[in-house]
Amino acid sequence: MENIKKKRFETKGQMVSYFLKGSVIFFSLSIVASLLVTFFEFIGPKIVQYTINYCIADTVTENDSVPIYIIRLMDALGGKDHLKTHLYLIALVIVVIAVFTALFRYLYRILNSIASERLVERMRNKLFSHIMHLPFAWHSENHTGDIIQRCTSDVETVRAFISEQLLNLIRIVIRIIIAMYFMIGINGFLSIFSAVFIPIVVLYSCFFHRRISKSFQKADEEEGRLSAMAQENLTGVRVVRAFGREKYERDRFVEKNYHYSNLWIDIMKLLSAFWASNDLISGLQVMVITVLGAVLCVQGTINTGEYIAFVSYNAMLTWPVRALGRIISDMSKAGVSIDRIMYIMNSEIEEDKEGAIDVSMDQDITFDNVSFSYGNGTDEVVRGASFKIEAGKTTGILGGTGSGKSTLMYLMDKLYDLPSENGRILIGDTDITDIKTSCIRKNVGFVLQEPFLFSRTISENIGISEKELDIAKVRDAARIAALDETIQSFNKGYETFVGERGVTLSGGQKQRTAIAQMLVSRPQIMVFDDSLSAVDTQTDAKIRAALSKEIGKSTVVLISHRITTLMHADNIVVLDKGRVREQGTHEELLELGGIYKRIYDIQMQGT
Amino acid sequence: MKENNKKLPFFGIPKLYPFLKPYIPTVISMIILGVLSSLMDSIYPVFNKYALDNFVGKGTLDGLWLFIALYVGVLLLQVVDNFICVYMCGKVEMSMDRDLRDAAFSHLQTLSFAYFNQNNVGYIHARVMSDTGKIGVMVAWRMMDIVWNGSYIICILGMMFYLNAKLALYIAILVPIAAVFVMYFQKKLIVINRKIREINSTITSNFNEGITGAKAVKTLVVEDKIQDDFEVDTTKMKRTSVKAAHYSGFFTSVVTMMSSFALALVLWKGGIITIDGVFEIGVLSVFLTYALNMMEPIQNIIVTISELIAVEVNVERFFKLIETESDVSDSQEVIEKYGDAFNPKKENWEELIGDVEFKDVTFKYPDGDEYVLEHFNLKVPQGTNVAIVGETGAGKSTLVNLVCRFFKPTEGAVLIDGKDAAERSQLWLHSNIGYVLQTPHLFSGSVRDNLKYGKEDATDEEIWAALKLVSAEGVVKRMEKGLDSDVGEDGDMLSTGEKQLLSFARAILADPRILILDEATASIDTVTEKAIQDAISTVIKGRTSFVIAHRLSTIVDADIILVVQDGKIIERGTHKELMDKKGYYHELFTRQFEEMAFSDI
Repeated sequence: MENIKKKRFETKGQMVSYFLKGSVIFFSLSIVASLLVTFFEFIGPKIVQYTINYCIADTVTENDSVPIYIIRLMDALGGKDHLKTHLYLIALVIVVIAVFTALFRYLYRILNSIASERLVERMRNKLFSHIMHLPFAWHSENHTGDIIQRCTSDVETVRAFISEQLLNLIRIVIRIIIAMYFMIGINGFLSIFSAVFIPIVVLYSCFFHRRISKSFQKADEEEGRLSAMAQENLTGVRVVRAFGREKYERDRFVEKNYHYSNLWIDIMKLLSAFWASNDLISGLQVMVITVLGAVLCVQGTINTGEYIAFVSYNAMLTWPVRALGRIISDMSKAGVSIDRIMYIMNSEIEEDKEGAIDVSMDQDITFDNVSFSYGNGTDEVVRGASFKIEAGKTTGILGGTGSGKSTLMYLMDKLYDLPSENGRILIGDTDITDIKTSCIRKNVGFVLQEPFLFSRTISENIGISEKELDIAKVRDAARIAALDETIQSFNKGYETFVGERGVTLSGGQKQRTAIAQMLVSRPQIMVFDDSLSAVDTQTDAKIRAALSKEIGKSTVVLISHRITTLMHADNIVVLDKGRVREQGTHEELLELGGIYKRIYDIQMQGT
Repeated sequence: MKENNKKLPFFGIPKLYPFLKPYIPTVISMIILGVLSSLMDSIYPVFNKYALDNFVGKGTLDGLWLFIALYVGVLLLQVVDNFICVYMCGKVEMSMDRDLRDAAFSHLQTLSFAYFNQNNVGYIHARVMSDTGKIGVMVAWRMMDIVWNGSYIICILGMMFYLNAKLALYIAILVPIAAVFVMYFQKKLIVINRKIREINSTITSNFNEGITGAKAVKTLVVEDKIQDDFEVDTTKMKRTSVKAAHYSGFFTSVVTMMSSFALALVLWKGGIITIDGVFEIGVLSVFLTYALNMMEPIQNIIVTISELIAVEVNVERFFKLIETESDVSDSQEVIEKYGDAFNPKKENWEELIGDVEFKDVTFKYPDGDEYVLEHFNLKVPQGTNVAIVGETGAGKSTLVNLVCRFFKPTEGAVLIDGKDAAERSQLWLHSNIGYVLQTPHLFSGSVRDNLKYGKEDATDEEIWAALKLVSAEGVVKRMEKGLDSDVGEDGDMLSTGEKQLLSFARAILADPRILILDEATASIDTVTEKAIQDAISTVIKGRTSFVIAHRLSTIVDADIILVVQDGKIIERGTHKELMDKKGYYHELFTRQFEEMAFSDI
């Protein structure tokens, strides 16, 4: 499994560069493309400058700042006197440059998109595969909603950080540098006035965005509360109605709603003040350049063409500079998201002990003084349980809710690790910690108490553990699980879509699907964890009869609280509060006259 | 939920008129201010022209201070204009947003359960919280976007025609070309973006499946298979997104390219007339600036329009909610006598005794097509304990829904104290019913707030008495701040059993004549369970009660047991009668008995 990262990431940078593998080249190319876009864009005003100075106004000064390459180009087109009467040639040059600009702009967008989509794809794939290989204990400790949030919106935040914020930062800085180069070429003195406004605008908007983000947070929290109130009202609609509290609910909501929108109106006041003041600063800057430029022009320091070009360059900087402050203040948010993703990527995945081996699974399974508790502080669910599951035989485990019967099987299937001081589980003579997890899980067919269906077709669900879907095998398994007829009755038969976005199956149908799912792979060890609890008594009997023919040499474990389910087992283990209290065959246990006998009596009394 | 695709005229804006009405004066001022701001935007290049023609051209700085003063004057005016306009816009957005939410929420309080059964909470919640927000943004900001960009285009076109009609005409020709082009691509982008959203939600549900199904994935050893399928989706996402980038990249590139074309056109045609001396350099520079700035507003307008189209769905859904009529509404006469949900006339309310009778009731759910009750008759005299049993999802709540008038019978009537329930107001009935839910629902807030939910003016003594009656005083005493303790969102700070006990106390406090108990399915520890059992037998004493039971052991003493399967009542009688019958009830009872055996040892 080479695509799973086993090493811990020490720093955020390490993880980000790991994700960036394969997209960094496209990001770099996109920066080059954007550099070319900027360059071509900035050529435009220079050509206008040439045209005005050489052709239209004839105001060429001694040290005119039109770059030599433009003069060469214009000479190649026939020189200024020719161009004076053939202005369309210059227009053509602008059109050609515009086409090039468009081409590179397009390239920039594409390269950036390829890069950022590759990044997202890699992030998602790596996260998903990491999650898939995290131990089950991790899954039970973490909230699904929280993990999904990390895999979706945090991934999106990181993508935006790299492909938008970081890249725009680079682009804007490049733009400022190129603009400055051209502007200084025209007049250094004027450029200083253009440049001083940049840090002012950036710092001002940085400061402002920091300040307003607190208000945003407050409004978000308030929205959360309002939203929760609406949610509560809707989920509790029965209570509201049954107590006749519609008026109370409405008044409460209206008040909170009013409060919330006022928060936003306050934010709008701040925002509009910010935009307006920003308009003022940029407007003043443009004015200063216009006036000073005119003064310099009158003094003869710069000529008309240069003046017009300089004003254009200055205007080309206004928006990028204003965006800069926002980008810088937004960038700080990404750190949190990176940390949240790193939490997942740095969680330790399931790993076999070094030198773990494959063993033959047709051996006895021994539970030797096994104790277990879920998480620190909670009571032990299994307390010193010792018993043997004989190979090729059927073992029943009888116990009530919370007796630890499922936990024992989870431990055997290595869903939870059994700490070495808490006893041992052996397959033959080998401790399961020395056996490869894949070896155990592939040979243990586990029908879970609460079956899970994937959102796929029913045949794909049943045959999910097979590499190639073999419909004959699927149908065969469905038949044993008494499910074939039910499936046939569906409109699309085996192609019926089930799960989240498909047909909802009843509890009994789900259980039978899970049984069929397990039967397809004919595992060496079959565990039925209360698998027929939702099935009616007749179908239960039918399935058990069909199963007993199919089981062959498999080792079978039946877990139940129903004596009729496991009374025919070769050996029955009676569990109570995590302890093995009795074991033996049905007859032996009845003979014994202990718990089993009592439960038997009570259960039979009912019938 | 399938949306009907009936198009509303003008993106549904006319329908919004009643909500817009209070803000019309503000909106008009906003429009005026917006047009003014665009006008000023188009004036700046004229300042440039003036500087070029009068200072640069004539080589003098005369009048420079006046020039600066005027420039700053216009600038300040525009800044103030923008400040007021943006603030007003935000205020209109938020106010409308608020009004729409209030309207939706209030209307929901009057809708019947048929609505809540047919639409899930997430769906309704989105109507209240997110559609309203989108409509607010549309009415305020999208409208202003059109005002700003539209008036700006008109202003600069006007200026250009004023300065030189022939040259202006050349540029004006580019406008429709650009518009058609932008529209074409915008359409394509909408389609592809919808596709991207779809794939995105698939990926999210993939994550969900992989995480919630972890146990199944591991026991079946299908990690790699699930991973492969996941990668198919992420690759599809990448391809589609890059394809979208092709469109949007091409689109923006061409739009900016057209600006340059306009610039080239001005330089060429304008250059010639300037050389001929018709133009001053300043005029040429104004044209150059306008040419460069014209394409962006066109693009903005078209993008705005496509956003308006997208919001149409939200408007439609919002009005669908607002226009849904409750199918269990009180008649006009009833409202006149007893008041409605928000303004009850308690002085006219009669006392409720508690005799309930189903008289020839036939019923089918508004969203179902099968009759679940047909000519059903049942007399429940005051004080009777009725138990309803059946498997999860069998439809045990139907009778209760009818007693509470959450639904109305399709035919026949439910009589309360001998009179058709429809002859009195819903609030009257609900004020006399106590309801304890299967999943006890507490509201976030303090314990006291929650307990007083059924009786606003309850004193602390009464509260403690109620708590004591259901042996829940221990729960409250254990909490740090007693009655003032916070129960958390949905009562998260409490265990299910504790919540159950508190909701019993809440029901008791309201001292209802009719009590509905929906027993908990969730496993609770034996001590609490015992406490709840005792609470039940205490509270049903002397009241007409309907108990939806999951643990059959609790209802063996019920006066009458109704057995429900697949939505229909298939057996009725006392425990003994039903056991003797050896039917479905017998099977259910046996099955539960097996599990129970363990708690007995």
